[in-house]
Amino acid sequence: MKRNKALAVGVASLSIVAMLALASCGGSSGTATTDFPLPTEAPSDAQKGGTIEVLSGSDIDYMDPGASYYQFTFMIHYAMFRPLLSWPPGETKTPQPDLAAEQPTISDDGKTVTFKIREGVKFAPPVDRDVTSADVKYAIERGLMPGVANGYIGAYMDGLDGFDAAIESVESDPTVAPDISGIKTPDDQTIVFELTDTTSATLIQALSLPVSAPVPEEYAKQYDSESPSTYGDHVAATGPYMVENDAKGALTGYEPGKEIRLVRNPNWDSSSDARPAYADRITVKEGYADSASASRQILTGEGQVNGDFGPPPSVLREAATRYKEQLSLPTSGGSRYVSLNTQLAPLDDLNVRKAVLAATNREALRLTAGGEAAGAIANHFIPPDIPGFEEAGGFDGTGADFLEKPAGDLALAAEYMKKAGYKSGKYDGNDELLMVGDDSASSRQIGEIMLDTFQKLGFKVNYRPVSQEIMYTKFCGTPAAKVAICATTGWLKDFNDAESLLDPTFNGNNILPSNNVNWPQLDVESINDAMAKAALLTDQDERTKAWADIDRQITAQAPALPWIWDNSPVIWSENVAPVINLFNATADLSYTSLKK
Amino acid sequence: MLEYILRRVLWGVAMLFLVSGVIFVIFYLLPSADPATLRAGRQASPDQIERIRESLGLDRPVFIQYVDYMKQIFFHFDFGYSYQYETSVSSLIFDRLGPTASLTFGAAILWLLMGIPIGIISAVRARSLLDRSTMVISLALISAPVFWLGLISLYLFADDIGLIPILPGAGSYEPLSAGPIAWAGPLILPWTVLAAASAAVYARYLRSDMIDVMGEDYIRTARAKGLPERKVVMKHGVRSAITPVITLLGLDIGVLLAGNAILTESVFNIPGVGRLVLDAIDKADLPLIQGVTLFGAFFIVIFNLVVDIAYAYLDPRVRYDDL
Amino acid sequence: MSLLEVDNLRVAFDTEDGRVQAVDGISFSVEKGKTLGIVGESGCGKSVASLTMLGLTRSMNSRIEGRVEFEGRDLLSIPETDLEAIRGNEVSMIFQDPLSSLHPFFKIGHQLSEAVLTHRDVSKGEAAKLAVEMLDLVGIPNAEARSHSYPHEFSGGMRQRVMIAMALINDPKLLIADEPTTALDVTTQAQILGLIDDLQEELGMSMILITHDLGVVAQNADEIAVMYAGQIVERSSVEELFFSPQHPYTWGLLGSIPRIDRSSEEPLIPVTGQPPSLIHPPGGCRFHPRCPYVQEACSTEQPSLETTGGGGTHHSACLLSETERKALWASLEKSPDPASAIAAAELKVARR
Repeated sequence: MKRNKALAVGVASLSIVAMLALASCGGSSGTATTDFPLPTEAPSDAQKGGTIEVLSGSDIDYMDPGASYYQFTFMIHYAMFRPLLSWPPGETKTPQPDLAAEQPTISDDGKTVTFKIREGVKFAPPVDRDVTSADVKYAIERGLMPGVANGYIGAYMDGLDGFDAAIESVESDPTVAPDISGIKTPDDQTIVFELTDTTSATLIQALSLPVSAPVPEEYAKQYDSESPSTYGDHVAATGPYMVENDAKGALTGYEPGKEIRLVRNPNWDSSSDARPAYADRITVKEGYADSASASRQILTGEGQVNGDFGPPPSVLREAATRYKEQLSLPTSGGSRYVSLNTQLAPLDDLNVRKAVLAATNREALRLTAGGEAAGAIANHFIPPDIPGFEEAGGFDGTGADFLEKPAGDLALAAEYMKKAGYKSGKYDGNDELLMVGDDSASSRQIGEIMLDTFQKLGFKVNYRPVSQEIMYTKFCGTPAAKVAICATTGWLKDFNDAESLLDPTFNGNNILPSNNVNWPQLDVESINDAMAKAALLTDQDERTKAWADIDRQITAQAPALPWIWDNSPVIWSENVAPVINLFNATADLSYTSLKK
Repeated sequence: MLEYILRRVLWGVAMLFLVSGVIFVIFYLLPSADPATLRAGRQASPDQIERIRESLGLDRPVFIQYVDYMKQIFFHFDFGYSYQYETSVSSLIFDRLGPTASLTFGAAILWLLMGIPIGIISAVRARSLLDRSTMVISLALISAPVFWLGLISLYLFADDIGLIPILPGAGSYEPLSAGPIAWAGPLILPWTVLAAASAAVYARYLRSDMIDVMGEDYIRTARAKGLPERKVVMKHGVRSAITPVITLLGLDIGVLLAGNAILTESVFNIPGVGRLVLDAIDKADLPLIQGVTLFGAFFIVIFNLVVDIAYAYLDPRVRYDDL
Repeated sequence: MSLLEVDNLRVAFDTEDGRVQAVDGISFSVEKGKTLGIVGESGCGKSVASLTMLGLTRSMNSRIEGRVEFEGRDLLSIPETDLEAIRGNEVSMIFQDPLSSLHPFFKIGHQLSEAVLTHRDVSKGEAAKLAVEMLDLVGIPNAEARSHSYPHEFSGGMRQRVMIAMALINDPKLLIADEPTTALDVTTQAQILGLIDDLQEELGMSMILITHDLGVVAQNADEIAVMYAGQIVERSSVEELFFSPQHPYTWGLLGSIPRIDRSSEEPLIPVTGQPPSLIHPPGGCRFHPRCPYVQEACSTEQPSLETTGGGGTHHSACLLSETERKALWASLEKSPDPASAIAAAELKVARR
């Protein structure tokens, strides 16, 4: 899961007063996503030139495209790097050729994927040479080095031939990128991926992420031999923009936590790229700790767009009325849910879990995130705009009665408790449930609501709010910690395929002793099997149907309470003509321009 | 005196060792995020995490890590590499010192310029309406959260979001090398906000000192000599009352340079040491936490020493030779 | 004409508990070259009276009435700046505790020359030279070097010498010495008193010597005023007071003169009981609750200061008749009370 600031941190600085104000004027008729522009094309009279400023609270995670795994970093990286495939602003279904000259060809057995690389794509100074297929191979292979530590190729490319051998090799010598024998480069313009099984669908999707952007081995090797790799301080761009650097390639325009200065890449040839790249310069200004004042600054300022934060509810409300033309609400492709430990009594009883889901007021939960503008109330696990969402039931849900009423249904909950053997309709056992949640202000409110819900059902709950990192590393990611309820979990897509959303999080085979992300520890054989089969499907329609079906099966197991499909609000200054990238749910810096 | 300073410096060094050791221990014994896991991403296998742990050197015994770390500092002045920024810790810190020092010293001058006259006037006019009202205002300033005060000032005066847009707002910091005006402009609001509470503290502190001092016998002597009252207050009174204030000032500056202006730096988006600390803790970036803490401890030790030496000059009764 | 003429001086302070009438209508005068001793328990108003004469109680929530004429000018009504010109110049003061009375952070040479520079148009160098001369005069050995020392580097006696030097540096006409020896040990006391005596003679100035210790004034004063609860209860020449004291309170004081074999730190309680509250002073004679010879009228009628003999220079405020007092003092003098006997003996020694 790539990190998304809104999902990860929620709206940390949101004040209770602002939230109540929003709640009181909200009601059922409120802000609908469609009330706002969602531009996915530049205006026909878009102007060239000027500087776009991106305001951000924190720094990007890694400047190294092999390591970055963060929505906000991708926003920058897609303007700097050219992966084999990428997502033009309006595209949500199929990634389009970028460094690749055309869509890949897939062999008849579905196990071999071949790309032709575009000619005339050059690395930025000081590398100054044409990109070859070997640069893509090296980019992916170096991702296995512990000094680079890519966070997703292990999950999406482990089907490549020779992947395990490559891991062994890197274990014996972590200073050299291992060879993955399943990646072949018969000539400079051709790269072939050989799979052990028909997992080409996820591989192709994963190749739309920055890890497939070429890295020049002869230049990067010296930096990669250090641990951690310092290639991030010397990255060689291929896209329309590059970070200012010196003659040796050291980035002078990257001041961590302060500023990133992007300028035009002199070696970028517009004829080889669909990106118009209107702005002359892009400056990322970091350190805006207060998202409210930073959002206002964008709305009233000039030439600015938001980076890693969304406007908090108070500003969102103001934007929705006063700055209607400067706000867009694309869906993030993520959902948030309360995970219930399906392995731990009494939550190991399906009826108890259904009772919890039925009892919870999801509207109240959504208010903690900012109400309707924050996103739609979720009732299954594939979010909007991801193939399979409609097929699984869309906004109406899968038909599960315990998720029918967004405001909660205590009568139904009592019925399920009775079915579970609690005659009074309330839990009468003595087990105390450990509930862990992160300790930001809005997350604590989620915790309080869940505490209240569980108490209504007669449970005793020990609620421990801890920092988000501790929550994941020490509690929720460690099954031995025996956490019954993880109140503030969420998952964001890596690309537009349901597998990346459901497999890591609900496949019983993926339960790990540490760093586990199957937080409910759901382990249902029929579901595990269905996932294994669906992963091998290469036909898009079949895949969509299969994963939608899996979504229904998971939802029926009530392993978690989904409560919101987040929007990812984008705001901009009045003189900005934004283009929204629906895939990344941020402004697309290569298409956004300044009005004259 | 020289011997005393030498002894204090040695103590300071011992202190820094102690601090670094404590940080190491805290980091390993108390629950905190695991840097290897954070770096690995959400779907990494335990093997992968282990490899990253090795590459970061975190698999070695804590003691060995500590010794290596101290060796690097001692022999190469190398504070290691930040996990998060993949840059050397010392360059990150030096990079951030400028803004923090700009903020600290400017604010200190401002709060002295505000606090000292107010403290003196309040003391001389103790219990007057002026005194009472300034003391109430100062209490309010001391109680006001810096973050809130900062936001209010931005919403009032920042040139982007303010009602009266007259001053540069958040994120407009420029180094001194950009010219004194470009440097000072964006710092006016942060200086004021950071100085507000301190000015109030200093005013109250000086006022109570001054009231005590003005009751001293030697003040009566000064008056009996026929000195004009203004001179009695400004020379004999202030000379005594200011000494503890100087002490306070030294310690405050040390603490602020150590990264304690974290809230002001956050709300005004000044890329200083405080913000660096915040990020480092957030990301379990041990080398950076270590580095910043050591630098912070260094400043505190140094300024303690400066205060002690200043004290010896300010108060002739203090003689360190006897200690 | 007297150098200083105090007429019906009243000083009151408004405090949170009420108005404190610290000085309640006192009158006296000081002649040129003469010494007036003001004696009384602590809290009787003697220090307040002296501070008020120099305007040092002006800013303290005080209410001041009466007249203090110095060379024909009323010090109570002249502006502050005029007073500043007189303070430390024509009228100087020295105080009880020489350590706390000197500024701890300034070198004593500086503190002395500051006094010169305040009143005289001389260069810093001249002022410093004068300071050294003065320190030499008061008996500070190695004065040049010592002028660069800080107060805490001196002994108690030396500090008081510094205070005296500072007070006398501008050649004042009147020196007010407020308990100048109380904080010093007995040997040093004698030295300091001797020094003050010598300097007074040498410089020809007048002096008001304020003390709780009759033994001190016995040596140095020409005239003595005894104060009790803000009022003068007896005033006479020093001989008259010691040989023919007229007020029962004075008798008590005479009985408590410190003796060589007693430590000076021992508290001196001239008479039994506590000094009265100055917020609600007792009616009638203020001394009556503690007076062993109290009569009925004493609690209602306030005695006034009247001439009782001594050629018209002896005044006392007591309702006892002159004959009663004479008889009482005679019997006290003959009593085996060692204190008064020794006092009388010491007095004789001092007179020689």
